[in-house]
Amino acid sequence: MKRFITISLSLMIAVLLFAPQQVFAEKPVKIGVLVPLTGIVAQGGLEMKYGIEMAAEEKGTVLGRPIELVVEDTQIKAPVAVTKAEKLVYKDDCKALIGVFSSGVGLAIAKNIDKLNVPFLTTHVMTTALYGLHPLVFRSGQLANDQTAVGNINGILARPDLKDKTYYVIVHDYAWGHDGGKRFIDLAKANGIKIFNEDYDKAPTSTKDWSSYISKIKASGADGVYIVFITNVIPTFAKQMSDFGLQGKIKIISAAAPGPLELEAGGEACYGIFGASDWSWDVNTPVSDAWELRFWNKFKTIPSDAAVHSYVGAMNLFNAIEKAGNTDAKAIADALRGISYDGPYGNVRISAKDNCMRNDAVLTETMAAPENPFGAKVYMKVLKTFTAAELGPAE
Amino acid sequence: MQIHRTGKHIMGGTLGIIVDISLNSLVLSGVFLIVAIGLNIIYGLSRIMNMGHGALYAVGAYTGYTLVATGLNYFAALIIAPIVVGAVGLLIERTIIAPMRKRSMVYTLILTYGLMFFLDGMIKYVWGNKPCFIDLPAFLKGTIPILGTQYPIFRLATLFFIAAIMGGLMLFLNKTKVGIILRASSTIPEMVSCLGINMNYVHMGAFVLGCIMAGVAGIIAGPLTTIDPLMGGEMLISSFVVIVIGGLGSLRGAVIAAILIGFVQTLAEFFITDLAMVIVYILMAVILAFMPRGLLGEGKFE
Amino acid sequence: MNHTATIPGIKQGLHPLKILIIILILLGLGIFPFVFENRFYISLITEMMIYGLLAMSLDVLLGYTGALSFMHNAYLGISAYVVGLFLIHVSPTSLWLACFAGIAFTTIVALPVGWVQVRTGGLAFALLTLAFGMMFYTIVWKWYSVTGGDDGLMGMPNPDITLFGWHLGSSSDPVAIYLFTLVIAFICFVLTRRIINSPFGAVLEAIRENENRAAFVGINVRRYKLLGWMLACILASISGALFILYKGYIGPSTMSAFAGAGVLMMVLLGGMGSLWGAFVGAALFIYIQDYISTMSEHWEIYLGLVVIFLVLFLPTGFVGLGDHLKRFRKG
Repeated sequence: MKRFITISLSLMIAVLLFAPQQVFAEKPVKIGVLVPLTGIVAQGGLEMKYGIEMAAEEKGTVLGRPIELVVEDTQIKAPVAVTKAEKLVYKDDCKALIGVFSSGVGLAIAKNIDKLNVPFLTTHVMTTALYGLHPLVFRSGQLANDQTAVGNINGILARPDLKDKTYYVIVHDYAWGHDGGKRFIDLAKANGIKIFNEDYDKAPTSTKDWSSYISKIKASGADGVYIVFITNVIPTFAKQMSDFGLQGKIKIISAAAPGPLELEAGGEACYGIFGASDWSWDVNTPVSDAWELRFWNKFKTIPSDAAVHSYVGAMNLFNAIEKAGNTDAKAIADALRGISYDGPYGNVRISAKDNCMRNDAVLTETMAAPENPFGAKVYMKVLKTFTAAELGPAE
Repeated sequence: MQIHRTGKHIMGGTLGIIVDISLNSLVLSGVFLIVAIGLNIIYGLSRIMNMGHGALYAVGAYTGYTLVATGLNYFAALIIAPIVVGAVGLLIERTIIAPMRKRSMVYTLILTYGLMFFLDGMIKYVWGNKPCFIDLPAFLKGTIPILGTQYPIFRLATLFFIAAIMGGLMLFLNKTKVGIILRASSTIPEMVSCLGINMNYVHMGAFVLGCIMAGVAGIIAGPLTTIDPLMGGEMLISSFVVIVIGGLGSLRGAVIAAILIGFVQTLAEFFITDLAMVIVYILMAVILAFMPRGLLGEGKFE
Repeated sequence: MNHTATIPGIKQGLHPLKILIIILILLGLGIFPFVFENRFYISLITEMMIYGLLAMSLDVLLGYTGALSFMHNAYLGISAYVVGLFLIHVSPTSLWLACFAGIAFTTIVALPVGWVQVRTGGLAFALLTLAFGMMFYTIVWKWYSVTGGDDGLMGMPNPDITLFGWHLGSSSDPVAIYLFTLVIAFICFVLTRRIINSPFGAVLEAIRENENRAAFVGINVRRYKLLGWMLACILASISGALFILYKGYIGPSTMSAFAGAGVLMMVLLGGMGSLWGAFVGAALFIYIQDYISTMSEHWEIYLGLVVIFLVLFLPTGFVGLGDHLKRFRKG
């Protein structure tokens, strides 16, 4: 009995102590950053965080007030992300949400955006479902699945050694993988490129042992493989392909850019991965080179596309808040439509038609890196540049 | 799934595919076996189900990675990494396992669950999130032709390593005094204690031996795929399936179960990739429903 | 394992002071959303209540029947998916029907699973729950066309909560869901407590203490374990229905082995063998995990240490804290 009373009393005291405080209007403009910091894409999430942090530091203030980033780990799980998003908006009083790596997580948050009522800018989500999804949902980040498919198909058609190959398609088993696979297969068929398995293979995101899939690829007789894998996993797959002696015999074309840190670990075995992407540090413009050096000096991490997308996306967001003149959700959203930023990969403009970005991109292939300030041994060499108009979609 | 053939083929015909699948499943079985044996040794003797076993396997892999990355020869790492894991196991046993031995199994289960989180978290803290690859000596890289397919040399080498380790373990358990004491203790601990042997040391030894097995499996499996922070959890589930099917505490059962599961999983992944793991779990449920003591009926529960 | 000192079979009357405190707590919880209108905290406590219900169901299994389930969240998940699918595909407005469908379906699934599991001993039971849990998780994850796979169930409608024709609120209103959850959770708690304090509960406890002796006394151990299991699964399925109404979303990650471990920790934190302890444990766990994961990306290390510490030094959990303090003071 006494025990019951003691515990009940302590519970009540605890509740009073931890009860929510009244939130006062604080000086900084708070932006909620949602990135995966644990799980299979933890490295990618970290690079995104770096990019956004760098943008916030370089921008300094917005509307005359300091920028405060509140970072939460989505753990690449939708329910966790939605809970964190609610925490950022209701508890921390964030005026906008930025980030998100996975399409699944992005769509889940987008579904709840009416309740949250803040602008949501994704900097890495690639699903085409985001086009015109909701007035508060935007994309300023990695090329979308349809844009990547166009880039990759163009790249394949331009190379005689790739045009006639038969491609085996494997995707990661979730929204983005399915979307990416479908886009590529539809476009490939329309352009006369041979696909081995139109019911593309779906691998769990946690797959590490690719030997069964590699056996299937060998058995199929295909001489090319199109992968729609999360960036951090691509070098692992490439390395195992090489372990089985297939490097150089079966061409790997990837829908996403491989993570630079993982490329370094994979080394030579990862040469020859071909694919379209927004950017690689081989882009040799003064703006890009300067950005790369600043990034390297600040974080001592090889500049990656996850980082640069998030940087540019964050800049677009901050500039939109400036343009809106206040932190009202609708005002920021209106300001985001049509805004653009000139950065390391040129002009990145958020289309007023569908809230997603248009920008130039590059076609790359991984190979041994030349002298570089990051000590990188593998890099993505730029083979050609695409214009925004080429990649579409039409506006 | 029908195996279509296009005009150009790269690697051999059906024979090649069969060789691929068989060898792949043998390698998978081998790794499962070493991990499962380690788990069984600890359980069979101390009745402790070590949920941290997967994490220790991961520690073995990461330690091997670090040793090789600092220039050590892979074979030297193959010996040193398991010893390191054994030392970690010793520390764990002395600090948190020993005091728990008198308590009910539920508690040790939850305790080792917490240990798993702790170790997995430490791995991420020390080595970060990125996948690591172990650099193999040149003569182990590459592939050799076998019956119509090109198969990685390292995977074949793995089979030899595993056979050697199992052979060594059998010798140890059957011919050495320490080994015989371990085996006896798992059957009649009271008798062993009566003979004047300190049971505390026996339990300690069993735990350390189990951890060494986990470490060996880690460093062998490391170069097969990739080393990343999630590998421990995945191996844990698989190894549980193996030891439950083989019979808790039964070493011979573990051998059969490992071969069975390795084979089923590899085949399932090849033909019905989507449902491969579901099939494995259903198999486990079915076997347990009719043979709760495992395939050989040697499972021990209390 | 600590539990309120009862002589099995004899009903415990409630001390009037206890009743007063319970009423106070209920009132406090009931008034909370109207006093503190912050959406985040309302949602947080709703989540604590739902997981508290799930933890309590696990406590019925672990604290009373003595059987360990590693992935009891699987039954929360199955129920949530069925409720969601029912609302999406069959009838977007029949809330009660959907809940019933979820609970019924989960019960039907849990029956054969339980039957297989009770035929084995303690440890194998636990490992089987792991295997079945992983199986359900994998099925849900792979069955993309029905469950949405890794992306989870999208497009959940928000039905209105009506009772005998009275419109009580919409399930999209966080306050309405909060109160709804509060009422349902409390009813479940009271009902479970009555069942546990009945002779049936006494039998369960006898089985937990010593299965062999219970069998010698003539108790059909398997049947009672199965009944205990079914009770636990029904409670879990109720929590699942509440979960999806509250969150509007369910994904495979809620059914993962990791989340399952979380439920186990909640029971441990709260203290096994006392039903209300589970609610406390759930609240503590959710709060700690949220707090730690915000503080540091290495929260797994802290979680592991907390668990180890708890098992070594405080195995009776929060509920047993009072005893510890008393002994400490007297000591």
